[in-house]
Amino acid sequence: METILRSQEMAEIMLLPIRHHSPACSFQVRRVIGSWKPGVILVEGPDNANLLAPMMVHEQTQAPFAIYYSYHDKSGKLSGEKGHYKCYYPFLSYSPELVSFQEAFARGIPAAFIDLPYGDILAASGKGRGLLKEEEKNSYNDDYLLSRNQYIKRLCEKAQLRSFDEFWEKYFELNGLYEEGDTWFSHLLTYCTLARENTPPEVLAEEGCLAREAHMAARIIQWAEGKEVGDGSPQGEWRRILVVTGGFHTPGLRELLSQGQWEETKKDFRKRKGKVPEKDQGVYLMPYSMEAADALNGYASGMPFAGFYQKVWEGMGETLEPYSKAALDMLVASGREARKKEENLSTYDEICAWQMARGLGELRGKPQPGAYEVLDAALASYIKGEYNIASDMPIRALRRLMTGRGMGKLCPQADVPPILQDFEAQAKSFGLKIHSTLEAEAVLSVFSEKKHRRMSCFFHRMVFLGTNFARRVKGPNLQLKKDRNLIREIWKYKWGVQIPGALIDVSVHGATIEEAAISLVKEQLKKDTGAGEAARLLTAVFEMGLSGQLEAVYERVHQVILQDTDFYSVADALKFLRMMEELDTLYESGLEIARLVPVTVRKLVSLLPSMAGIKDENLGPCMDACKTLNQAVGGMEQEKENFYETICQMAQGQIHPGLCGCIHGILYGCGRENSQQVEKVCLGYLTGTREQLLQTAVFFRGLFFAAKDMVFIGGRILGMLDTFFGQVQEGEFMELLPQLRMAFTYFTPGETDKIARMAAGLHGKEGKDILQRREILPAWSAYGRELDEYAQSHMAQWDKDGRDDGR
Amino acid sequence: MQETIKPPVEARYREELEALKNTDTGKRPDNWQMSPRAVRTFILGSTSPIVYGDKEYRIEKKYFGNDALIERCIVTLAGNRGLMLVGEPGTAKTMLSELLSAAICGVSTNTIQGTAGTTEDMIKYSWNYALLLAKGPSRQALVPAPLYVGMEKGILTRFEEITRTPAEIQDSLISVLSDKVLNVPELGDEGLLFARPGFNVIGTANTRDKGVNEMSSALKRRFNFETVMPVREVSLEKQIILNEVGRLAEESHIAMEADEDVAELLASTYHELREGVSSYGHRIDKPAAVMSTAEAVSVYYQTMLTGYFYGEGRMNVDCLVQNLVGAVSKENKEDLEKVKGYFQTVVRDKSGREGGIWKQYYEARKWLK
Repeated sequence: METILRSQEMAEIMLLPIRHHSPACSFQVRRVIGSWKPGVILVEGPDNANLLAPMMVHEQTQAPFAIYYSYHDKSGKLSGEKGHYKCYYPFLSYSPELVSFQEAFARGIPAAFIDLPYGDILAASGKGRGLLKEEEKNSYNDDYLLSRNQYIKRLCEKAQLRSFDEFWEKYFELNGLYEEGDTWFSHLLTYCTLARENTPPEVLAEEGCLAREAHMAARIIQWAEGKEVGDGSPQGEWRRILVVTGGFHTPGLRELLSQGQWEETKKDFRKRKGKVPEKDQGVYLMPYSMEAADALNGYASGMPFAGFYQKVWEGMGETLEPYSKAALDMLVASGREARKKEENLSTYDEICAWQMARGLGELRGKPQPGAYEVLDAALASYIKGEYNIASDMPIRALRRLMTGRGMGKLCPQADVPPILQDFEAQAKSFGLKIHSTLEAEAVLSVFSEKKHRRMSCFFHRMVFLGTNFARRVKGPNLQLKKDRNLIREIWKYKWGVQIPGALIDVSVHGATIEEAAISLVKEQLKKDTGAGEAARLLTAVFEMGLSGQLEAVYERVHQVILQDTDFYSVADALKFLRMMEELDTLYESGLEIARLVPVTVRKLVSLLPSMAGIKDENLGPCMDACKTLNQAVGGMEQEKENFYETICQMAQGQIHPGLCGCIHGILYGCGRENSQQVEKVCLGYLTGTREQLLQTAVFFRGLFFAAKDMVFIGGRILGMLDTFFGQVQEGEFMELLPQLRMAFTYFTPGETDKIARMAAGLHGKEGKDILQRREILPAWSAYGRELDEYAQSHMAQWDKDGRDDGR
Repeated sequence: MQETIKPPVEARYREELEALKNTDTGKRPDNWQMSPRAVRTFILGSTSPIVYGDKEYRIEKKYFGNDALIERCIVTLAGNRGLMLVGEPGTAKTMLSELLSAAICGVSTNTIQGTAGTTEDMIKYSWNYALLLAKGPSRQALVPAPLYVGMEKGILTRFEEITRTPAEIQDSLISVLSDKVLNVPELGDEGLLFARPGFNVIGTANTRDKGVNEMSSALKRRFNFETVMPVREVSLEKQIILNEVGRLAEESHIAMEADEDVAELLASTYHELREGVSSYGHRIDKPAAVMSTAEAVSVYYQTMLTGYFYGEGRMNVDCLVQNLVGAVSKENKEDLEKVKGYFQTVVRDKSGREGGIWKQYYEARKWLK
């Protein structure tokens, strides 16, 4: 604790260092507030959230909740990308910041956040550092500067503790219950000062710490001097100002508020005005879960084991040994849970675990067993046999309990972002049951009822926004090109407490669900994606029935298609676009797909020549693409001409035989070549070198893929096939068999029968004759086998003799 | 020359134990010779030296791995339940149980060695038949076995490889562990032996041959189980090899310094083969044989002996590979193929990138047959 006593006319300022989410901190902060009786409490936190304070301390609001900050960089202050940014500031009921607000409210004194607004923090952070870190969830009160550096690592090694969290629990959480405020805070301040000294200054600047501290210090000065505070907070002369900030900032603030720096800090503040427009920033309260707040879940915002510390916090008012109580509760509850899952756990095991926890606490010099003793105790007493994945159920149960399952609740007065209002209004207009948490079903005739189509769009949008509100159990799936024949969609939807959170989460992207969906589509298109993926995304737009403001989306897809040089990806895009074109009359999407098809066709045709020498495994997709192209160019004269011109040229050069067959099939189909020309090419393969002859099988595969009807006209193709079979030897035939089989898969069973009959005709037989086999006399078979064995033994002998002779 | 090949732990560390005992200020459970905290210090080492008499004792770390496990073991032994150490062979379970016994009661030799032929009288007591015939059943005629000794004196009884003994013999421990009383019916009214405080049992069982699954659940309930995992860090494994080999060499009066590079080589080999992945990320087939640190120590020590007596007084990599072959081809022939595969991928790449001893190592692959 650092008290700065200004001159007689001015206020007395106490800087209180804290760690976020620490029950001991909250306990001590409360004590200090009680004894020191400040006139105002200033808390670290973006000051654009001040208007939320009354909702935070409302009796109906229940932690955990979080302040959700968003910023849409419309003006490009951060970067040319003009991105969307968001972060969370979670509060648990034992967060010292929340306790400070609650205490201030109870005493009728003002309290306020004093940090830079979220957008300005972003502007002050280096690329990819601080709150600009590229993480799924950024947390405002991340304590990583306090817990991760070389000094702390050495400290833990020396104290023989396994992690910083255990160190913290032993020396601060547990001692916090016994030590006087002065001693405890001075220990904490020493620790924070050392942690800060071991952080290089450039890191401080890059993380945005320095800018934030300058802002906080200036705000403190404004309160101290009784100046008008920008957002209309109450002002006046405050004799005693309590400042509650993360311990890491306390030394920095002390420096800025020192006698010599006071005026400088003020001057500096006047110079730097907020860079980031306030209208582009959003700030809302949202319910949060303990799971999300638990550092072990990867968000690293403060201490782990939120459920355990919640119990400790609750016990602080009731008993002198809240840790022992929480530890016992956890051990008993996890034992009960394990018993439910048929683990063989007795009450005596729980007694032993409790003794173990206390014994470990004593051995480790802790006055009461903490979280690590609880885990160790369960490990020693609940696991019977080797500790492995099959036997660790009790530990998993305990970990879940220690993480906690609590979910917060907001008071009715809490502002909800417009997107949530939009959701409620739409759900109401569709008559959806959103006041029960039971799963409901909606069967939608999407193509015959306008309202159903609108509902389907709504569900699709909710799915796209990742809200877990609805799921489609049946219906056409355009992304996977599945079930397109279905005319109804069946949806299951369920209201849950996580849905407002999820919607607030995307509220940075727009004020309505439609707006957010469009904006997210644009965001996704910004990523480095291929034409195929972009078109697949467009099918989602198609299903969601988004319209309006889509100019930028078309532009971007257009651009992606032009830039993509992957033939298969562009071919994929063409397939998606054609599918949408076909289905548009049903979906009435109003998307201007027709604008994109010619572009894709032209791009694909331009990439086609490079496909001449494809590998065997790519033959299928490549032929597929040619066929799609052939269908797509139907109504486009210029493109059609180009396409045929291109494939004609390809056919004349060195080309994969399968693709060659496919191209000739297409050319035959469109009347550019007659059957004689195709047969000539086929004959070329047959009469060529041995290697070319063997390629005939693949050629047939390509040909049958594009123009299988040729087999039935004239019968010459079949004759050639027959000649081909006559020329290959048995071993070669076996090798070619897979390709030949592929070639014949394009025919229907009826057609195959017809071919068989025609083939039999070539040899003067009828279809049924093929099925008849000549009987082989047993004596012949025996003779054959004997002959084989005789030859084999002689060969072996010859081989042996040859080697013996040294030949 | 010393009189024993391997003195017991309490003899080897007599001075350290004395110093700890006499400077210990913590609370001691009944009949323990030192407090749990001092036991911890004895096994995990102290950061600052202990001054006793006119000497300073630096307590070195004797067990590498999981510190929390040691603490749990100590607390278990002070409580009502026995301690059962389970794990792969060669993970220092026996060493740990010796260290614990020596620190807690000063005796690490009160041991039952579990085998398929262990009988109840090897665990509890048997008779001196001459005396029995001459004087009838009496305490003088009774020959106490380790469990009896432990109960009578209030010290720890170690039960090595408990799962090797038949289940019905194992179960003879149940009543002793729960009631802490042993009945000798032959002695009539005086036949009840009540355990003195300080008595407890440390069992060890390896998870390889006969697992703990066959142990009766009644007996399992009377133990706290601790799973001892192989060391997960190469640097730690290297340190263990160096420490152990140094100790063995000292005991055998071999004046040869342990070679750090070779220890690191061996530690990496064992670590990588055990984990199935190399430090460069190669995926390797894991051999079925036990790839424990203890095995690595023995391979190293053998190579050292060969170098000392037959070589030029230094470690020979060819010899190392030969010993490695001997160590891994215990169970089946495929293991050797897996080691060959390891040489052809990981060692080859490392010899290319790191050179030096890895190169020699790769060249010595000719002995892999």
